[in-house]
Amino acid sequence: MFSNFDFDVIIRSLPYLFLDGMTFTLMLTALATTGGIVFGTLLALMRLSAFAPASILAAGYVNLMRSVPLVLMIFWFYFLVPYIGQWVTGAGQPIQVGAFVSSLVTFTLFEAAYFCEIMRAGIQSISRGQISAAQALGMTYPQTMGYIVLPQALRNMLPVLLTQTIILFQDTSLVYVLSITDFLGAASKIAQRDGRLVEMYLFAAVVYFIISFLASRLVRRLQSRIAIIR
Amino acid sequence: MITLSDVSKWYQAFQVLKDCSTEVAKGEVVVVCGPSGSGKSTLIKCVNGLEPFQKGTITVSGISVGDRKTDLPKLRARIGMVFQHFELFPHLTVMRNLELAQMKVLGRGKKESDRRGMQLLERVDMKEHAHKYPGQLSGGQQQRVAIARALAMDPIAMLFDEPTSALDPEMINEVLDVMISLAKDGMTMMVVTHEMGFARKVAHRVVFMDKGEIVEDASTADFFAKPRSERAQTFLSKILQH
Amino acid sequence: MNYNWNWGIFFETSPDGVHSYLTTLLLGTGWTLATALAAWCLALALGSLVGVIRTTPYPWFVRLGDAYVELFRDIPLLVQMFLWYFVLPELLPVSLGDWLKQLPDASFYTAVVSLGFYTSARVAEQVRAGITSLARGQRFAALALGLTLPQAYGYVLLPMAYRIILPPLTSEFLNVIKNSAVALTIGLMELTARARAMQEMSFQVFEAFTAATVIYIIINIAVTFGMRWVERRAAVPGLIGAAVPAAAH
Repeated sequence: MFSNFDFDVIIRSLPYLFLDGMTFTLMLTALATTGGIVFGTLLALMRLSAFAPASILAAGYVNLMRSVPLVLMIFWFYFLVPYIGQWVTGAGQPIQVGAFVSSLVTFTLFEAAYFCEIMRAGIQSISRGQISAAQALGMTYPQTMGYIVLPQALRNMLPVLLTQTIILFQDTSLVYVLSITDFLGAASKIAQRDGRLVEMYLFAAVVYFIISFLASRLVRRLQSRIAIIR
Repeated sequence: MITLSDVSKWYQAFQVLKDCSTEVAKGEVVVVCGPSGSGKSTLIKCVNGLEPFQKGTITVSGISVGDRKTDLPKLRARIGMVFQHFELFPHLTVMRNLELAQMKVLGRGKKESDRRGMQLLERVDMKEHAHKYPGQLSGGQQQRVAIARALAMDPIAMLFDEPTSALDPEMINEVLDVMISLAKDGMTMMVVTHEMGFARKVAHRVVFMDKGEIVEDASTADFFAKPRSERAQTFLSKILQH
Repeated sequence: MNYNWNWGIFFETSPDGVHSYLTTLLLGTGWTLATALAAWCLALALGSLVGVIRTTPYPWFVRLGDAYVELFRDIPLLVQMFLWYFVLPELLPVSLGDWLKQLPDASFYTAVVSLGFYTSARVAEQVRAGITSLARGQRFAALALGLTLPQAYGYVLLPMAYRIILPPLTSEFLNVIKNSAVALTIGLMELTARARAMQEMSFQVFEAFTAATVIYIIINIAVTFGMRWVERRAAVPGLIGAAVPAAAH
């Protein structure tokens, strides 16, 4: 079974796997997380606002994103973003954006729905008294949100936000369907070129496991330290 | 300075305030007391617009609180409020708690805000704690900082919503002492409280509320000596037994 | 916008010569639901077992259960599917491996097994949370009456735990339905795969994906309402809803 396990193919492809593949994966994760949290917080504020159209729009968006598979969304945006680019810039044809941009847009918009729910819970967990105190000092709504509510909400939800980031990290493997060279894509390309499916896929699984495992351990440690501070 | 005129408020179908009318003149200290559910906390929160009300008018220094055109944040910056649960901002140091509104609402510079903040911390005897976080302070200490925070805005009047109700007994006096000194300095104050000792010492008038109505509104001496309504008499007898 | 809309495309015959595009999409939906349901049954069975094991007073069992959950949660679903589909047949004895590779509907079975194991780890987490959220006294009371540990779980702990975790279990089931789309990478012709095929053959990109989106939304709504009905039927009067702690997440 393992007699002709070719470690060499793994070692030879390490540069390609990590410099090309993992870099893409990590960049996509980092950028989509940042964009997702920003947009997600905006959505959460909209959902919680008293202005009904904003609330309904945000709720509709979040429910839509959460009803549909990520794979379908990846296809959707792959075709949609060029047309949106054309509409926004008034060009004559759909704008070619390339796989990285379209997957960045996809992941940011998709994960924002999940970050929205996390931030919504965070914002709602801040006691009304804090908002009253800020308002009593004469702070406007943006000031109250920006200086008092959101900083506390982010701090409280940090472990959950980080866990969602780990999920995002794993989800990026789905860009495979667009034949993009992320970490899994790179492993897959080597596997098919050299006929070494077992070695490459097992290696990929091990790498993903180690990264996700260590990351979730760190989050758990962070969580227990936050609990002590309270 | 503060005038309430026939103020009524409903939560859905339930009426929490019924035609409340009273006044707090400049430099006056008015204590609002009454049993739980009498609406006294709600009433005081209407004065700076934290709670909306459906009928009647409230004016502070001539500005109508209920008027839609009133710039509420600006008005609130001129009225200080102290809460039952202190409500210091836990993610900011004491100093930052005092600076924040001065800088972002009044537009003061950092140096000036710090100077004013330190001045007030000294006044409430909390100077050494300037760089601590609220979580590191006791309840009484937090409430004193909260009073300093409100005073940092140089308000024309101060509202207190049961400032000592959440404190352990041994810390109540340190807060009351600050409030008494404020009153003696001539601050216009409206205080919702059960602390009748405080009322007797510095209050000019006592307003007694029950079930959303203002039942009695008399000078302190009159209120304690001969309360006119039966409800006030019952309330006083229960409270003064301690 | 130089895109030619053609909503009538659904009624045109697809390249297989037999079905209309609409029919192919519905066939895909059938595969989606079949995969999801089969995987869900596997996930519930395995996940409940592992979840229960993690709450027993035997440290080695607990550690085993924890390792199981960690393994299936830290590897992306797509990678897990590839392992089951490409790697497993190679690691087995040659005859078994060859049989697997030639199995008709191999992608269906692989998808069900892969999705089942992946989801079972998440179900195990929910079941564990549900059981631990019960007052400790429940277990002691059951044991004090003379019930064995399996009986205590079966008659006392699990019936309440399942009711508590119905809401998160519902989201897990919805996740299974969505995750079935990942199997298109190993050749399963479920709904998303069909929409992609339709897009490639007919060039009517947005019609195809809109139809798939609408179908997923309908499934979502149906399942949500269905589970709400189940929740109501299963509710214990006076208990659930009043004092349920948020620990069941």
